[in-house]
Amino acid sequence: MATRVNPKLIDDLEQYGAEDVSKCYHCGNCSAACPFSQGSRIFPRKSMRHLQLGLEKRLEGDLEPWLCYYCGECSDECPREAEPGETMMSLRRWLTSRYDFTGISRLFYRSWKAELAAVLLVALLTAIGFLLLGFLGGDIRIYDGPGAFLPSHVVHWFDWAMAGVLVILLSINCVRMWWFTLGREGRESGTHVPLREYIARAYLLPFHFITQARYSRCERKRPWLVHLVLMLSYLTMLVLIMFFLESMQSGPEIDWRVHAFGYAAAVGLVATTAYAMWGRAKRAEAQYRHSHESDWIFLILLFVVAGTGVLQHILHRADLEVAANIAYVVHLMGVVPMLVLEVPFSKWAHLAYRPLAMYFAELQLRAVPSRAPAETARPAATS
Amino acid sequence: MDQPRIGVYVCACGTNIAKVVDCDAVVRAAEGLPGVAVATTYKYMCSTPGQEMIVADIEEKKLDRVVVASCSPRMHELTFRKAVKKASMNQYYLQMANIREHCSWVHGDGVEATQKAIGLVRAAVKRVAFHEPLESRMVAMCPNTLVLGGGIAGLTAALELADAGYQVYLVEKADHLGGNLARVDLTAPHLDSARDLLRERIHRVMGHPHVEPFLGAEVQSLEGYVGNFTATVAVPGGNGAGPAAAEGDDGPTDGGGATRSPRTLEVGSVIVATGYREFDASRITHFGYGKLPNVITSFEFERMVREGRIETVEGRQPQYVAILHCVGSRSQEFHAYCSRVCCMTALKYAHELKSAVPGCYVSDVYIDMHAFGKGCEDFYRRSSEVKTLFLMYGKNDYPVIRKAEPGDDCGMLIEVSEQLSGELIEIPADLVILMVGMEAREDSAEVARLVGISQDKDGWFIESHPKLDPVATTTEGVFIAGTCAAPKDIPDSVAQARAAAARILGKIARGSIEVDAVFAEIDEEACSGCRICNELCPYSAIEYKADEKRSRVISALCKACGACVAACPSGAIRARHFTDEQIFAEIVGVLA
Repeated sequence: MATRVNPKLIDDLEQYGAEDVSKCYHCGNCSAACPFSQGSRIFPRKSMRHLQLGLEKRLEGDLEPWLCYYCGECSDECPREAEPGETMMSLRRWLTSRYDFTGISRLFYRSWKAELAAVLLVALLTAIGFLLLGFLGGDIRIYDGPGAFLPSHVVHWFDWAMAGVLVILLSINCVRMWWFTLGREGRESGTHVPLREYIARAYLLPFHFITQARYSRCERKRPWLVHLVLMLSYLTMLVLIMFFLESMQSGPEIDWRVHAFGYAAAVGLVATTAYAMWGRAKRAEAQYRHSHESDWIFLILLFVVAGTGVLQHILHRADLEVAANIAYVVHLMGVVPMLVLEVPFSKWAHLAYRPLAMYFAELQLRAVPSRAPAETARPAATS
Repeated sequence: MDQPRIGVYVCACGTNIAKVVDCDAVVRAAEGLPGVAVATTYKYMCSTPGQEMIVADIEEKKLDRVVVASCSPRMHELTFRKAVKKASMNQYYLQMANIREHCSWVHGDGVEATQKAIGLVRAAVKRVAFHEPLESRMVAMCPNTLVLGGGIAGLTAALELADAGYQVYLVEKADHLGGNLARVDLTAPHLDSARDLLRERIHRVMGHPHVEPFLGAEVQSLEGYVGNFTATVAVPGGNGAGPAAAEGDDGPTDGGGATRSPRTLEVGSVIVATGYREFDASRITHFGYGKLPNVITSFEFERMVREGRIETVEGRQPQYVAILHCVGSRSQEFHAYCSRVCCMTALKYAHELKSAVPGCYVSDVYIDMHAFGKGCEDFYRRSSEVKTLFLMYGKNDYPVIRKAEPGDDCGMLIEVSEQLSGELIEIPADLVILMVGMEAREDSAEVARLVGISQDKDGWFIESHPKLDPVATTTEGVFIAGTCAAPKDIPDSVAQARAAAARILGKIARGSIEVDAVFAEIDEEACSGCRICNELCPYSAIEYKADEKRSRVISALCKACGACVAACPSGAIRARHFTDEQIFAEIVGVLA
């Protein structure tokens, strides 16, 4: 059965950043240059072709965009300046919007104004909520301890509630990703992955999440290092906030058991986000050459959150409690939209999709023919 | 006859000959042959010292015949003829024995190869004794030229010659000038107007004091030889230019004037620039041309563009347009050759479509993209930038066009086994443009016979040498230019037209033409007038004199192929330089 070409898809992808893909004439230099393009996973050329032809279903089932870390070798080698690296990046944005069942992601990626409006709205609601909470039950002159403007146990409770919602949203998207890449693809090709393989390979998820081992195999090490520091800093901060929020705001004494980690993570976050923003502004490296609006919104949010986090701590230590509390509210105005909007619907979703893609890619290699071959089986040579 | 004094020169050709043939053994064998005064070998006989050695020997050792055993005479016969001429010897006293192409290059066994080389040298020595001194002749050159075809090549050639001050007769079958180019809107890759290219040329041709155009006219006969042709042209109404002089709207239409009175023209040269016709797309059933109304040919699309209305038959602007390359070209079933202009024309359509119908999607379905001309690769890149979707199909794996279902957002679907993705895909289309290739015109065989030139298996006229002599033909004085010789684009056609004109101007400048001394002669006493030779001659070089009931060879046209000599039942024909004695002596030499 022939697959229908959709010449319009390329117009759609343009809004996700794939502006030059039509220039590609399939010489294959990009795939030859890519250190990750091996065996049955030939990219970026194959993904570029699927995009040019507008084979939406095939693209949805592709894991390749997530296996690329945008080192930029392909774009440097491209004789047509078709920007294969940026095309893969755009495909990741597009896939994020496809995995997202709500359609919010699609709205954000296609309109930065909508994304910005949503961020501002959530920030405003957050401000109203926490100011109400503060003025009704606390004193703006008290930062922590009894009578605090924003009591840490309430904030902690709020954090967990928010985390629960986010996990549910993201999990649904992850299941959709599984369906596109393993479920549906398997059904159409008449194969499935045995359950024992899912279990045996499950270690890959935390492994790739923590180490970013695949990224480290790129020829240029600095992007990997920056990304690893950013990710570990954030993870540290997340653990501190989710489990030790009370001890972070325990009182006049500094609890070094948590603050030592906190300071390190804060430095890591501020430094790496500043570096990334500087790089994007200067277009200093291949992966910073093209910036989608969503990249900027994410980075600025992260920087604001890290900065205000540090600021409130300094103000508090300087006994400027009112200012510290105001900084705290601003901090939350950054944190909430960053988590609520970016994690399930935008750039930050890659924290789940990337490790999953590597896990799924490994599983795809272990697919076996299903007992009753599906009638719509595609010839094996299609990939 | 006195015993001749023959010099035998065995060339080692570096190691080309010497590595297989024992050249010294050949020299020793030659020394023992009757009449051989001197035999020697040298590394490169064709080099200046080699030639000087021959010249010195002729003068000092009083040689009167020379045998050079080396490469093919096609390679160096002229070189050695010049050398013996230098020593005041008649150039036809030279004979070559081919011991390279016919010997060292094709045999591995040195002993046998040396035996064969000795045999070839012996044959040459026996033959050369019978050689006669021949002199080439000069004939007068008529400076008028007949140009067949009023397309871009014919117009260019005519103007080039006329601007040099010589008379040109331009014969065009249709009732207007411009040829196939007159049917085209813009040209690739610079998107210049074809009309602008033609208008100035046609205008100048029509008003030129040295050009006499004949529209709706046909050449009926061409007789004579280089420098001295007589052409008969059938002209409607009997006079020159018809009223419809500007470039026409569509297709080469037959002039069809009611009264055709022939004109007789004296010309020295002929340029054939009769062009091509487009492939009939309905021959390929997969494409549904003629059945699906929105499947059109490239020329039909040109017409749409010229009229400024790109629409489907239903009168709607197409949302999806597909362009299909290589229709009739590069296929086993139809024409194996590439038509050369369609790729860039297809890219031109992509640009024209994107500007005429801004929202439309253009799919370009090709086998290979041939973008070899100046500026063409850049044009290809720009076509990608305007988001043309390029799809590759396999040779002889034709896409299939079918009507879409009612629910589809397009009129047709093209099923292609797409090579760059490896997928079987279908492309939506509202309008399909078939890039029809070029093929030889239906009357090309007639034209070839008329002017005495040959056609290849595809019907294109054959040039004298594909690389070194691309506009001359095997008939001296008859030149070919443009797409009648093979598919080519406008710059190449124009270049050929000017090349042909330059060749003719060179001949006119010399004023007379040297005719090779090697040709057939008919002994009119022995000729019975049976006319077998007239029919047989591939160069139309034998005329029949009805009043004397004798045939006569037009020496300027004769190529000395020998067909008439062998066929003559009266034994009345003798080929100079290929006489019976010479050939029998050669055979005796080989077999001795």
